[in-house]
Order: sequence, then C-alpha cells, then structure tokens
Amino acid sequence: MNPRKLRACFLLLALIGLLAAFFPSWRDRPVTSLDEEGFAQGCTVIMVGKGASTDGSTIATHTCDCGTCDWTWRHVPAADHKPGEMRRIYHINQYKTWPPEEGLKWDLYKRDFTGLEIPEVPHTYAYHHGMFGYMNDQQLAIGESTIGCVRKLHNPTPTPAFDITMLTLIAMERCRTAREAIQLMGSLAEKYGYGYNDHGEMLAVHDPNEVWVFEIVPVGPLWTPQSGKPGAVWCAQRVPDDHVSVCPNESRIGEIDLSNKDYFMASEHVVSFAIEQGLYDPGSGKPFSWKRAYSPAEGSATSTNGRRARMWRFFNIVAPSLKLSPETPNMDYPFSVKPDRKISVQDVMNMTRDRAQGTPFDRVKGMRGGPFGNPNYYATTRTICTPSVEYTTVTQCRGWLPAPIGGIVWLCFGLQDTSCYMPLYAGITDVPDSFKIGDHWIFNRESARWAFDYVDFHTQVVYSYALEEVKKAQAEWEAKTVAGIGEIDKQALERYNRSVEEGIGYLTGYCLTHADRVVKAWWKLGDDLLVKFNKISYYDPEKRTRDRNKPVYPDWWKKAIQIYDILLEPPEK
Amino acid sequence: MEKGEEGKMKKMTTSFFVVVFLCLFFVPASAQKAIPKAKLPVLTTSAGQSNDVMTVNIVLEEAGIGFDYCDVPDVDLLKAGVGLADKESGPGFHVEVYTDFSKFPKGTPYQTVIFAIGASLKGMGASGLTVDTEAARLKRLIDYCKQNKIFIIAVHVGGMALRGAPGSDNERMIDAVAPFADYLIVTKESNKDGRFTTIAKAKNTPLTEVDYALDLVEIMKQVFK
Repeated sequence: MNPRKLRACFLLLALIGLLAAFFPSWRDRPVTSLDEEGFAQGCTVIMVGKGASTDGSTIATHTCDCGTCDWTWRHVPAADHKPGEMRRIYHINQYKTWPPEEGLKWDLYKRDFTGLEIPEVPHTYAYHHGMFGYMNDQQLAIGESTIGCVRKLHNPTPTPAFDITMLTLIAMERCRTAREAIQLMGSLAEKYGYGYNDHGEMLAVHDPNEVWVFEIVPVGPLWTPQSGKPGAVWCAQRVPDDHVSVCPNESRIGEIDLSNKDYFMASEHVVSFAIEQGLYDPGSGKPFSWKRAYSPAEGSATSTNGRRARMWRFFNIVAPSLKLSPETPNMDYPFSVKPDRKISVQDVMNMTRDRAQGTPFDRVKGMRGGPFGNPNYYATTRTICTPSVEYTTVTQCRGWLPAPIGGIVWLCFGLQDTSCYMPLYAGITDVPDSFKIGDHWIFNRESARWAFDYVDFHTQVVYSYALEEVKKAQAEWEAKTVAGIGEIDKQALERYNRSVEEGIGYLTGYCLTHADRVVKAWWKLGDDLLVKFNKISYYDPEKRTRDRNKPVYPDWWKKAIQIYDILLEPPEK
Repeated sequence: MEKGEEGKMKKMTTSFFVVVFLCLFFVPASAQKAIPKAKLPVLTTSAGQSNDVMTVNIVLEEAGIGFDYCDVPDVDLLKAGVGLADKESGPGFHVEVYTDFSKFPKGTPYQTVIFAIGASLKGMGASGLTVDTEAARLKRLIDYCKQNKIFIIAVHVGGMALRGAPGSDNERMIDAVAPFADYLIVTKESNKDGRFTTIAKAKNTPLTEVDYALDLVEIMKQVFK
C-alpha cells in the first residue's frame, strides 16, 4: 500500500479510536428498538399537589414540544345557551397548521366537523385556549403529554368523534373541578369514541384542591358507535396532596384500586377490556397494571442513553434523598413522591429549563456543547427543556382566592432557558394580540413568539455568555413578577370585592400591559445580543469598546483543535 | 309484417332501449359497488406510512385472512414473495408474516397487494423517507404489480380531516396509488368531495364506500372468497 495512504488510514483509525475512547456515548449510541420508535418524544408534564407547594397552590406544566405546530393563543369567552342549542364536535389535529393568510387555526379546524353535535349546556365557562384548553374561569386547569398505547388499539379512522384536544375544550367549557372534567371527558369518549388524531394520551387535570393524572387510549379501528361498546378506555389517579409527579410521555398509572374513589377513577371495562384484548392475564397471578397493559414502555434513562432521562431527572431534582437510579426501568418509578422540600411556582419554571446539567446526561458533556456550552448543538439526551418546544404553560390554581384571580396560566414562548414566563389570570377577558398570531415559516415582528425566538437565536453562537444576559432579563421580568404577584392579587381582590367587572378589568389590563412590555423587552434583548456578540466578539455599547479577548475559548477546546489538526495533518508536512 | 310480429318487434325494440338505458345510467353505478375477486397470497403495505395500514392488518386478521406485511417494501421484497425473504424488523423497517405456509410456501408470488393510503410525516421520517422518495417507491411497486398482473387494492380509511389540501402529502399518496388500483375501498368520510369517485370513474375502477373500518371485514372476506 502507498505509505501516504497507509499513514492516512492509521490516522483515521486513531481518530476513530480517540473519539470512541473520549466519548463513550458514540460507542453506546442507542440501538433503536421498535419500542423506541413508538415512544413519543413530546411534552413533559410536572405536577405539584397543594401540600407539596410552598404556597398551597396546585401546579402543573405543559411543555408543548412539537417543532412545527401552531403556537397561537386565544381567549374563549363565557356564553349562555338557549335550550335546544347544539355544540359541534370537530376533529382537531394537534400538529396541523395552516398558512397565516388562510386564518387562525381556531377558526380553520371547524372545516373538520365530525358530523356529531351534542346538546349545549346552559352556560359555558370562559377559558384560555392554546393547543389545548388550559384554564377556565373556574380554575380548572389542564396539561398534556402523549403516552402512546399498544398499537392494535390505535383508531386512526374518522369513526371516533373525539380526540384529546376536543375533550379538553369541552372540559373547559363545562366543568369546575378536576373530577367533573375527568368524568365528562371519559364518558364522552366512551359514548362517541376516542382516537382519530390521537392515541394514548395523558392529561394533568387540576383544580385548587386536587391534581389528577388522566390517561386515555382508543379501543382499536373496528369500533363503531352502534356496537354498544365503549369507544375508549381510560383511567385516572390522583396525586396525593403532599406529593409531586411527572409525565414524560410515559404512562404513569400502574396498579389501581377502584374501591378507593378518592384516588382512582376508570371506565367500567378498564380490566375486562384488557383481558379481552389479551393485554392482561388474570391467571398470571400478577395484579392488573394500567400502564403495563395499555401503554408499556420498557427502558430506563441509562438503557436508552438518555432518551428517556426525564423521568429519572425529575425525581432526581425533587427528591434527591431517594437516590433513585437512572438504571431503574422507568415503569418501576413511583407514581409520585413527597419532595425533599416544598416546590414553588418559580421552582417549576426552572425545572422546565432543565438540561440535566452536571449529570451523566448533561447535554454539554464532553465536546457536545462546543466552546460555549450550547446544549442545542448535539442532543444526545432528551431533557425537559428541548428545542422543539412551542410554548410552556405552568398552570397554578390557588384556592384561597376567587377563581378569576386564583388561577394563573404562566406562559412562556419558545425555549424556556431563553424565554420569560408571563401571567395570564384565569379571569381575564382577552390575551395579547401578539399571542394570537404567527407561525414557524414567516418571521413576524408582530408575533410574540418571534421575539423569544429572536433572543434564542442570538444566544446560539456564544451560548454561555449570552445566557448570562438573558438571565438578567429573566430576573427583571420574570422573577420580580413571580415575587410580586401577591401585590397584583391584592390590588385585583380589592377591586373585585367592589365589583367583579372592575377586578377582572384590572387583571386584564395588567396581563396585557405586562405581556406587551415583556415582548418589547425581548425584542430589545435580541437586538442587544446581536450588537454585543457581533463577530463573536464582545462589544460594550456603554464604553463603546470591543474586547477581543472575550468570549474566552476554554483550554480543552483549544487542545481539541490541536489534536484534531495533528491527526489530520497532511502527510507531506 | 304481421301485427303480432310487429308488436313483438316493438316490444323487443323497447326492451333493447330499456336495457341500453339501464346500461348507460346504472351499470357504472353498480360497477362502483361491485366487489371484485382477488387471489391470495396478499401483501399489505403503507402508502405514506400512516397508521392506516394497521387498520387494514387488523381487518384482515378479523376476517381470518392470512397476510404478509411490510411498511416499506421495495420491488426486491415484493419479488421475494411469501415470507418476505425472512427479513426481520429493524429501525424504520417492519415486517410481519401471517401467510399460511402450508397453502402458500415461502417464495410464492403475491397475487394481491393492498396499499393503505395515508401520509404521515412522522411515519415517513421514522423510515427515513420523504414524500418524494415514498412516491418513487410506490411507483416502482405499482409498475412491478402491473407488469406481473398483481391485483392492487387501495384503501383510504383516514377521513377528510387527514386528506389535506390539493398537493398535500396525503393527496400525493392518493395520486401515487389510487389511479392505478384495481379496486378502491374508502370510507364515506374520506370521499366527501367525490375525489375517489372521480378517480374510479376515470379509470373504470370498482369502488366501494364504507361507513366504518369494520365494514371492511366482510368486504375482504368477499374479495378473497
């Protein structure tokens, strides 16, 4: 062999060996199993019972992780209905989007009328509507996570009238409590069928007193309304008041005790249907487990090289004293735990920003993040904070206040680590105009989401430096708001006690004005980041200087470049 | 001509025109509803990688019809016949074999291919496909079927909401398969705009509309009787 080629081969092998030795995950790259493919990589729900939160509120999240979905929001007003009025049911696809010039998703999905109309109720509650219904003016709140289910139970035919989005909207319109919502969604799904756009789904359904995990799956494509059989099977378990729980796209309900009505609810055929479908063998001697029957997801954080690390990571954050192992199969994790310390709404917001920093699943471990520790470069781990997020909700219900003041949807657009949570009280009668528009494909300065993407984009090149600037803005616009929300509550309550309209008007004005100020601040922050880190240097606008020594490239990065150069140096040199 | 004979002729002429009339106006309609016969063994596959092919598989299972399934077969696998060359499932590639080998030994050429039409970007992504590569794969399969007189059944059970606008991924999958099918089975919900009726009429392809996927069970029993 030509000595040059021989040397080149040797260097190539040496490089491969070096990379394999330095970065074990390259060797251990996950072998995608069939089960892995079916595993959803979407939204994360975190739940906090009222006895586990610092202020007695119940809390849940929905990280709306999609990447191409509609992020727009609207407010649906309360309404009174005459006897005989009917409510049309639509097929609503979580993922479907339309070009902005065609209109808003919330009007356009009406093209997909299922043909089903159900009798209206005399009064429907007002609610905030994003991809799902999130919170109504009674402090009923919802977060969502796709959990998947046994494939033969999928029902992608248009026969079932309900999908998960439509169920949440009806729950918002008609229910005051989590229990009411679960019973209503379950019964509608059983009667009219569930599936089409969705299969296994989980909802965190909470009110000021209780947090419930509601899980639902279709019953296969051969179901018809005329069969007389339920068109869905569902189960719900309450998170104990002093506990916290999580749903990272995996079913969380295991063994169930339907005699304990304070903690469990389910469709009547929950066990018999599993037996009928061959998903549970009562003769096995093992108790019935909802998740093992309907939505089994084998694997652990370790066995999946971090693809399913969110389960472990959540419990690792909230209850490190339990020392739960990342090797523990996710299906063996507890349904809920008592946290080592009580959790605040700010803690929950921070959890949504988690990138598994300092853990074996750190997204910037080794060279992954580049010289400036960017967790978005090479994603080997699925963390709670992930670039596909459209927006995140942290819904908070506070029973000591009237519902319109007690309920808050804390909303942040785009990636949580570079974004800012803004409050939308349950009782407000509008959402900011900038929240109502925009899509992924056309840059729009009128759309709030783009302001946050604008900042995020300008953090990518020198992430570790730029993030410090973002944190300052978050401290100003988010942390201060969270800390000062009690004063807003007080001001609103005083007015509300004088006149409901006055209280609601005050809150609406506050939320719209505050959101407007935050969005403007983020546009400016994006501009400032562009100026400051232009040409990957550090420009100080106040001193009008350029510091060529900043940002500082770490030594390991410089060494890595030298090693790479030596390995690939042309033989003739 | 005698009166009696004249009367007979008139009756015959009238009958002739009645028959012609019936042929003109009712035969196309009845042809749309006629259920053609197809032969086993049968392969099921997806046109667009949506979940709809699982519906077809469950229908065949319910109908007691053995079948082989591959989500992304190409011509080589179709040529391999029953047993799909003992291929095993792997990332982005799924195989299931339920054909009765005692009736159709491994390697027996498929007589029928059922395409479940439905585009899913998620499904295509998982299989490393794009809409273009999926359309190209379908063309190769269909060309092979035509050359080898393999009966093509196209099924669309996804409904209007998944159909999408003209030019959408799902519509492209319809264009890639439906005009070349020997038999079309669609849910009424999928054919609200008459899209499949138009294709069936243009190609004189038998078309059956069903209310529910469950109705496919009896149809498949008749097709493979």
